[in-house]
Amino acid sequence: MDVLGFYPMWYVPTIGSGLTIALIASIHVMASHTSVGASILLAYLATKAYKENQPQIYNYIKKYLLGLLVFSYVSGSISGPGIWFSATVVNPRGISALIHNFVWVWAAEWIWFVAEVTLVYILFYTLGRIDQRSWLRLAWTFAIGSWATMYIIVGILSFMLSPGHEKWFETGNILDAFYNKNYFPHLLERTSFMFAIAGTVGIAIASLMRKEINEKTYKDIVKTLSYWGIGGTVFGLMFFAWYVSTLPQRSDIILNNVIPIYLKLPIMVIILLVLANFLWTAIRPTAARFWMAYPIYILIFFAGIYPEEKIRETLRKPYVAGEFIWVNQIVSRDVPAKGIKSEVPIINEKGLLTVNPFVPEGLKKITPENEIMAGKAVAVLQCSGCHNVTGSTGLRPFGQKFAGMTDPNAVYNFLVSYMRENHPPYMPKLTGTDQEIKALSAYIAYMISKGGSVSAKIEVPKSSAEAIRR
Amino acid sequence: MREIVRWFLLAVLPFTLVGGKLALAADPGSMLKAMADPAGAPFFPVVMQVLQVLTWALHMVFVYTSIGGLFIAIYGFIKGGERWHRLSKATIELSKVSVSLAIVLGVAPLLFYQVIYDPLWYTSANLSAWWYVLFIVFLLIGYYFIWGAYFMKEKPSLSLFMSVVGIVLLLLVGFIIHVVNYQALFPEKWVSWYTSNGTTMNISGWNIYAFNIFRYLAFLVFPSISVSGVFLMLYNWYFRNREDMDRDYLDWAGRVGAKFALYAGIGWLLFHILYILTIPQDWNAKTSIFTWLSVLGLVLCAGVILAAQKDPAKMAIPSLLAGGVAILLIAVFREYLRIASTARFGYSIYNYKMNLEFLSPLLFFGTLLTGIILYAYAWWMAYRAGKTPKGKVYEASEMEHHLGDASVFIVVLWAVVFIGVGLIVIVRNYG
Ligand code: HEC
Ligand code: HEM
Repeated sequence: MDVLGFYPMWYVPTIGSGLTIALIASIHVMASHTSVGASILLAYLATKAYKENQPQIYNYIKKYLLGLLVFSYVSGSISGPGIWFSATVVNPRGISALIHNFVWVWAAEWIWFVAEVTLVYILFYTLGRIDQRSWLRLAWTFAIGSWATMYIIVGILSFMLSPGHEKWFETGNILDAFYNKNYFPHLLERTSFMFAIAGTVGIAIASLMRKEINEKTYKDIVKTLSYWGIGGTVFGLMFFAWYVSTLPQRSDIILNNVIPIYLKLPIMVIILLVLANFLWTAIRPTAARFWMAYPIYILIFFAGIYPEEKIRETLRKPYVAGEFIWVNQIVSRDVPAKGIKSEVPIINEKGLLTVNPFVPEGLKKITPENEIMAGKAVAVLQCSGCHNVTGSTGLRPFGQKFAGMTDPNAVYNFLVSYMRENHPPYMPKLTGTDQEIKALSAYIAYMISKGGSVSAKIEVPKSSAEAIRR
Repeated sequence: MREIVRWFLLAVLPFTLVGGKLALAADPGSMLKAMADPAGAPFFPVVMQVLQVLTWALHMVFVYTSIGGLFIAIYGFIKGGERWHRLSKATIELSKVSVSLAIVLGVAPLLFYQVIYDPLWYTSANLSAWWYVLFIVFLLIGYYFIWGAYFMKEKPSLSLFMSVVGIVLLLLVGFIIHVVNYQALFPEKWVSWYTSNGTTMNISGWNIYAFNIFRYLAFLVFPSISVSGVFLMLYNWYFRNREDMDRDYLDWAGRVGAKFALYAGIGWLLFHILYILTIPQDWNAKTSIFTWLSVLGLVLCAGVILAAQKDPAKMAIPSLLAGGVAILLIAVFREYLRIASTARFGYSIYNYKMNLEFLSPLLFFGTLLTGIILYAYAWWMAYRAGKTPKGKVYEASEMEHHLGDASVFIVVLWAVVFIGVGLIVIVRNYG
């Protein structure tokens, strides 16, 4: 019996399981960029406090640290593993491929992650209780250690989009995989924008303390944050342009043709808003207001980070990792260096339903009784990573994409010509036996004829199940 | 080992054939083999395994103090009175910091687990996909309740309420990860679970297929209370000599801790043995040396804690060590169970395909070294600061300043090397 290493499929009707990744990842990006940015800003401010003998800056640092602990660290340290948890159930083989290539790199990141979390507590509890020089050292190790988590993870993220170079498939060399074409622009872009994010919330925190701190120190703090923020935004934009220029060709096509404007526009607007706020507080530090800075910070999440995460996820399509695993978990090409073989030929020969161990026996052999259900299983296994395959609302719904196509033969002809022989760059090639494609067509025509929406339940017809038992 | 594997294969395969409906499904052996990632492991599996076991033990220590800290806080709030309130405040603080550490320390075993036992982990998680995602959601909400309890600690009734919600959510989180770990041990049942015996595909991700209440109690609930009791003994020991602290209170807290450690420790031992009794016969695990070593560890630990009842502060460190040994032996036993279960199907991590590679392990061990220097310095300074009475500033010694400079230097050096290597590779590949 031929089996391929597929895992039990998880299907979330309408919204799609991938949304869980996007949501958790957005929370994580927000929290982690705030804390990494803040760690450097705070170390810089602490140096200033020490050198210029401005002890009140420490009051500010203490408050910011508490805010970081409660908001960024709690949500950041949980949502970080959270991305991984959600990816495990949405794209098990994708995350597995990454882990099997990068486990040590991730483990190295983990060392910094532990350092980051323990140091933020230690910094908070020892502020004012150990001498300034010692504290300052801890603050700088914290800052650089925090940034280390970023410069490590960015390599893996970039590889997910693309190994950048054909070479890796032949050498399998971890350095070629990690330091890919995308790495530096990506790292620099994030490193820049993180100062804008941490600066925005930093100004919000400062503005709450205007009455507690003497005016000179207050202005100093706000100005420092504003300058870093302006720098972060401007450099961030520059590096973003560089980043886009290193995208693989398919991602370019997706960015220009598939990504809707309602995702792109808010990002530009929020960047300008953040910049305007910094310019304003750089000129008039006393004009900083919580009710301005904080809502902007929150807006960064909704208008900046969430769309950015959605876009980044889409640019990667049709792959989930390293341009060799598709969103539907099928290994789509050979990686000679690792001894990885494309699974497409065997699936085309034996059938997707046959090689997946978690498909019930009663659906593996397609008959007139089970055809619709087998087709639904194919749709769930092969298309549901990017489509709502049982309805006409939500994520690129089949109900809309196939609207009007109630004739199985028409669907079949469309699928074969459009998705198998000449598939678009954002979708995987349609795989499986001819019979399976017919079943898929039958299912799609059926669901359209039912008004574009059917139950997500897959039921093995009694007759097929019993045929197997006998 | 080979022999055992072969023997089991012979014994088990006929069984699945007789099982009827399982007969035509892929046999678990070839399924496990197919699921192991084709990329292979980048390093010797045994190294991953050892790291997994060690880091899991560390993870659990802080899981225990997260939950146990809340338990004692709740107990104290209900008891009422000044001393108990004070203790509750301290254990909420313990819980709050511990959750952070439990989370970061959970990442490491998760990494190593997924390299060598990917078929088990991914399948089990995907069988209960929604729960696996909710793990994160419950943990996040639970942790915020714990922070809430901490901020409200001067208002006992509110803080009590938040602690209760916090502990319930953490216990739920523990339940989910327990289910994932437990389902993973039954490869022969996965397909029939997922397909409800061949009649459907449970794609909704809402199903939970197996759990074991004894394992849950023995691996999570009782040790939480017991280990947190030991932490109270340590609390007594650490603050005892600080002149601004109330010694009577501390000694009392130490005694309370020793009692919790003992009583819960007995429950721990009892449910551990009950769990062992539920392990399926065909794993041949009940008579294994690893199984009984874990029991022995618990017995020894209980002995030390019994001896500690008289002077908890003095026996705090020995109790910690005994507890540590017991947890390590349990970690080994848990891993042994995975080996015993998967050996039935001829799966062995020692045969995991390898694509051996030395650069990234070098990166890891180098980082580990850097990290150890950094941790040593940071923890040491924290230890010193904690020993300094409130209102005073600790002045570092010459030696400590040097260590501090060294740790900044090495962290910067590491960043420079990392980025430098990147520049070289990029220039070579794309220049
Ligand atoms: C990797 C993600 C992905 C997978 C898997 C996927 N699609 Fe698509 N599909 C897309 C994207 C992106 C579009 C572009 C339109 C949009 O964004 O709404 C699309 C569009 C379509 C369209 C409309 C035609 C077009 O090109 O705009 C059809 C029909 C379609 N998909 C069918 C399928 C079928 C059938 C499967 C399963 C065999 C499938 N898709 C699998 C991502 C995917
Ligand atoms: C604070 C909340 C947590 C609790 C209460 C908790 C509890 C537990 C328990 C009870 C087990 C053993 C389960 C069993 O064998 O039956 C366990 C194992 C494990 N936990 Fe946690 N955990 C928590 C957080 C985390 C997090 C955040 C992660 C990952 C980032 C994690 C990763 C793991 C892993 C990988 C294992 C299995 C390790 C192995 O078998 O080697 N845990 N946890």
